[in-house]
Amino acid sequence: MAVGSAGQAIQASTPSRKPRREMSDTRFAFLIGLPVLVFLMLVVAYPLGYAIYMSLHQIVFFGGYRANFVGLKNFIDVWSDKSFINAIWITLRFTVESVVLTMILGLCLASIMNQRIRMAGLVRTLLFLPWCVSSYAAGLMFGQLVRGQTGILTTISFTFGGTQGVDLMGRATVVEVLAVANAWLMAPLVAFFLLANMKTIPKRLYDLAAIDRLTAWETFRYVTLPPLQFTLFVFASITTVLSMKMFDMILIMTGGGPGTASATLTYQIYKRSFKDLNLGYGAAMSFYLLFFILGATFLIYLVWGRRVSR
Amino acid sequence: MAKRSIFLYLAIAVAIVWSIFPIYWFCRMAFLTPNEIRLFPQPFMPQVFEFGTFYNIFGYDYEYAAGYVSGASGQSNQIIRGVLNGLFISSIVTVITLLIVVPLAYVFARMEFRHKQKLLFAVLLAVALPPVSTLIPFYSMYVQLGLNGTRFGLIVVTLTITVPFVAWMLIGYFRNLPPIERLARIDGYSRTSCLLTLILPLAKSGIAVAAVIAFLFSWNEYTYALVLVNGTSANTLPTAISGFLGQYPEPGNLAASVIVTIIPPALFAYFLQRHVTEMSLVDPVR
Repeated sequence: MAVGSAGQAIQASTPSRKPRREMSDTRFAFLIGLPVLVFLMLVVAYPLGYAIYMSLHQIVFFGGYRANFVGLKNFIDVWSDKSFINAIWITLRFTVESVVLTMILGLCLASIMNQRIRMAGLVRTLLFLPWCVSSYAAGLMFGQLVRGQTGILTTISFTFGGTQGVDLMGRATVVEVLAVANAWLMAPLVAFFLLANMKTIPKRLYDLAAIDRLTAWETFRYVTLPPLQFTLFVFASITTVLSMKMFDMILIMTGGGPGTASATLTYQIYKRSFKDLNLGYGAAMSFYLLFFILGATFLIYLVWGRRVSR
Repeated sequence: MAKRSIFLYLAIAVAIVWSIFPIYWFCRMAFLTPNEIRLFPQPFMPQVFEFGTFYNIFGYDYEYAAGYVSGASGQSNQIIRGVLNGLFISSIVTVITLLIVVPLAYVFARMEFRHKQKLLFAVLLAVALPPVSTLIPFYSMYVQLGLNGTRFGLIVVTLTITVPFVAWMLIGYFRNLPPIERLARIDGYSRTSCLLTLILPLAKSGIAVAAVIAFLFSWNEYTYALVLVNGTSANTLPTAISGFLGQYPEPGNLAASVIVTIIPPALFAYFLQRHVTEMSLVDPVR
């Protein structure tokens, strides 16, 4: 990027260690960053350590609380558990669909908001509204919207002379419905960051594109899209993490059902820990989820982020 | 040109319907009469718009024009307290998050120092932790510390969500700003005054969005609130609402309180959204 290299050139031309009494970059960074990191370590490390402790034990409530040390048994047992394998598959499907949809929707919304239109403030606020809805409320809303009993499709179908309800909460489509709801929820956030980024693209480039008679699509593809790469990468990672962590929407909307058709890993962890009260087993599962989340973020970084972050 | 603007307005219309309709379809229930709610298929629109359910959830009886009276909701105390607590907690979380994250993100985005990658990884780890797996540990820690059911406790938990998340977003944002502070540094500005007098005004829009995000995360936080403060004097709106999901479903009241949850963040977003687009960077280097 032109800006970055210019900045690096300037930095290179100044001595990196200043002879004046000023502290070094490292010390300044630590002074600002350290208190935060210490706070996070304290508040995150204890729960994390406790979760590790639980995952290595079999915790029994009935007949008096006992925690028997079982080593890695929980971590191994998980792999012979059909519901766990099923949950991995559903989480993968849900996440990929959510992320792809969110990115496409975010780009569309941002492109629309980037046009010169009347009442732009109102339009922006309306398009931003889904992000104001919490994930549990989004679960309520989409549940209401697609369920055969109360859904919009049923109402439309009856208006045009249909006689049957239309229910999208069936086994075949329930994950897709969840992904759409999730994308609906997250897209405005992505759109706003993309919009902020689009505003930094020099108008000159669009004038040049007009002179070269690029079509609208070509302009978008070769002028608008390239500077957005880094933001797109960051938000692909963020939405991946958010989707894999998504829990309250799924709990409220489908409760993992019908059957186990929408039981993602988060839902299985919840079920094992809070319903079956098998805390050790649930904790072991949650570490796999943590590894999957970190793995997915690294994968995105390896195949995409490395190219765009320089 | 005319064809283009027709397309544009069509696209805007589709985008607005897409964004609004799921909200409308649910919130319309606040205005439906109990009989209309039971209809199959459900009507597109209520016959009359009366705000009875809003009176109900805030603890007042309401007499409909049709003659019947709907009683005050038993949840009203929880709802009122939830609104107040939610506003209090979210505001504090937003302010603290910004105070912590803005310098942090600036340092990570603009400076090179040892162990930076490792520290970034620590931030990522904090973002990646699923709340489901830290729920029980947090609960037991809070019981030991006596923080269960306190607003302070919820603020601390919420900060562990907002700080890493907002930091992650702002780091990317700061990296894209033109590197004018390097020039300022040559001119003898100190780091602190660079941050205060140059970067903050330049990054106004990014910080505004970060504020919205921190507020929304905190306002809408459900999983921790359900376990840590539900049913206590520190409960927030999401947990208060979940009371309507229980044994006595009251769809009208549920919808009315969901509308109440959307209003503050929507107002907040409305006042801050202009910062996103007012930003026109004048790049001093290019």
